[in-house]
Amino acid sequence: MARELLPQERTLLDVILDALIPRNPARDIPGAGELGVASFLLECAAKDEGFDAAMRIVLERAADGSVKDVRRIEAETPYAFAQLLEQSYKGYYSRADTRVKLGVGAHPPHPEGYEVASESSKLMENLTAPVRARGRVYRDAPAGENNAK
Amino acid sequence: MPNDPVDVLIIGAGASGAAIAWSLLETRMRILCLEQGGYISDQEFPSRLDDYELARYGSFSCDPNVRQLPQDYPINVTNSCITPVNWNGVGGSTINFLGHWVRLKPSDFRAHTLDGVGADWPIDYQTLEPFYNINDANIGVSGLAGNPAYPDYTPPLPPIPIGILGQTLAKGFNKLGWHWWPSDAAILSRDFEGRGKCINSGTCDLGCAAGAKGGTNFTYWQMLENSGIELRTHARVREIIISDNSGMASGVLYHDAQGQIHEQKAEIVVLACNGIGTPRLLLHSKSKHFPEGLANRSGLVGKNLMFHPLRGVTGVFDKPMKGHEGPMACSILSQEFYESDSTRGFVRGYGLHSGRSITPMTYALGGYGIDAPIPWGEKHREIMDDIYPYLAGLTVVSEDFPEEHNRVTLDVNLTDSDGIPAPKVTYRLGENTRRMLKHGEETAKEALIAAGAKKILPKNDDKVWWRAGWHQMGTCRMGNDPATSVVNGWGRSHDVKNLFIVDGSIFVTAGAVNPTSTIQALALYIGESIKTNIANLFDD
Repeated sequence: MARELLPQERTLLDVILDALIPRNPARDIPGAGELGVASFLLECAAKDEGFDAAMRIVLERAADGSVKDVRRIEAETPYAFAQLLEQSYKGYYSRADTRVKLGVGAHPPHPEGYEVASESSKLMENLTAPVRARGRVYRDAPAGENNAK
Repeated sequence: MPNDPVDVLIIGAGASGAAIAWSLLETRMRILCLEQGGYISDQEFPSRLDDYELARYGSFSCDPNVRQLPQDYPINVTNSCITPVNWNGVGGSTINFLGHWVRLKPSDFRAHTLDGVGADWPIDYQTLEPFYNINDANIGVSGLAGNPAYPDYTPPLPPIPIGILGQTLAKGFNKLGWHWWPSDAAILSRDFEGRGKCINSGTCDLGCAAGAKGGTNFTYWQMLENSGIELRTHARVREIIISDNSGMASGVLYHDAQGQIHEQKAEIVVLACNGIGTPRLLLHSKSKHFPEGLANRSGLVGKNLMFHPLRGVTGVFDKPMKGHEGPMACSILSQEFYESDSTRGFVRGYGLHSGRSITPMTYALGGYGIDAPIPWGEKHREIMDDIYPYLAGLTVVSEDFPEEHNRVTLDVNLTDSDGIPAPKVTYRLGENTRRMLKHGEETAKEALIAAGAKKILPKNDDKVWWRAGWHQMGTCRMGNDPATSVVNGWGRSHDVKNLFIVDGSIFVTAGAVNPTSTIQALALYIGESIKTNIANLFDD
């Protein structure tokens, strides 16, 4: 079972997460650290030893002061960093409160879905008029030898 | 009683297996369908969950090598630039397909005669046309009649909305004078036959919890409920058995959910496992009559694998495109560059398909079918806040040619949970396809700019989509000559007279359209041929 993070490790993780997905103050969209995506990562780590190891590699590198230079951590631990990045995106965008900030419904797609109006016959007729006016755009083909009895 | 001999044994409950079961129902033969997966109820589809997008990267991934469910088999893809994707269970890949419903064209059946490439089919468009129509009615296809890119036909239901995104792109195509048309879709625009219409949830790949998408779980298998046809799930066929005396198929060996092996005898065996699963099973069914794999005297089982290589081009517009609202793959498509034109530097052609739904996580992780996360840091914020909502894209869907070096073989070192060797895919892009994709990228950019795109997102490589292996074709192709084909013009094996193949593996050429409509039309046509020839079905 994965070891729990020490408080300082958790702090480092939040800092890294905010660097990966920073906040947008103008639109009041929180960064990944302040949103608590670390909890999602810890759940992943508890289920996946490989990811747990990758996350700790990144944290170890950050602990030596490199957290100020996340690009360097990425360069020095590319494989582990890529895993952390992928899970961070998953954790951040799986949240309904994040989706809604990007114009996507907070609700699960079913059963509510989205209201999309059907185009009227007239609109569709107008839109397709130039295509129809041009006429057929497929080739005839010679008849085949159908060997069905 | 379980394992009593049956008249017809169908292997696979996906698009083609369900369709031919329906076709053969009226014969009153005893029909059994064996399916390696189970039935999944619409209540289990992840689109009902708050964190629904996560399922795309786990238990509902389209990639069996990611999913790794008990019913899945691994696929060795180390020598391929495209990985096959699928679903194993009742409905097959119609569970997670996107429902884009495009027919082949008359010229697709005559690629060799018209363009000197590939081979001609032993049948033509006119032969399949009535079966396309029957199938469209069974599935509940939505679309707009009068498409000048096809011989005339009328979809049974009006088109699904093309939305702001489709309307915008349509105007761009009109400005250029190029063909486009609202996509036909196996998705209900109105309530139909007890099924509810599409609710535009944009998660077609996660199963359609509304039942609006025409997967065979909602169409043919519902129609066959209580029909007398038996559907036996969690039954994975290990091999097809050949009678030593007659050289005919006598049945199959299959594993149940506990791995125990059973023998099931049958008078007729129908393979419906698609372009990877079908050659895998044939190659694994070796006997003294068929030491190189069943029905493989031509040596072509597994060869001529075709996909539809895809590449996407994306434009940024000045208004939100609402790409997440509406069916994922189906808005409009252009077939301006579908037919051959010698001035373009390649033979045959491609389609420009306007997909729709890219939800935030999927976009951040690189897009549907791709694994290449977008940048992190301030750039990430900028992309997601200022670009993502304003995107519209076109996917270049290119024709692929049959080439023998693109193939499915067996990997004896990689097996499924029952110890059956995994398929190994060897696949590379042909030069014609590369030129076609390059041309398609340029025309897609032109169309997006004509539609009002302020910017085209740059691409850093010329890779095709990795998870583009939905359309698996050609590995047991049909033809009149037993030396150059695996099945005849109505799906019967040249070598084994009571063995039929009805899935995408029998395609001779690929066209540049989604194949499921044609796969099911073929299955219905083969079913009709079996009925017509029932008195002398096994004659030469």
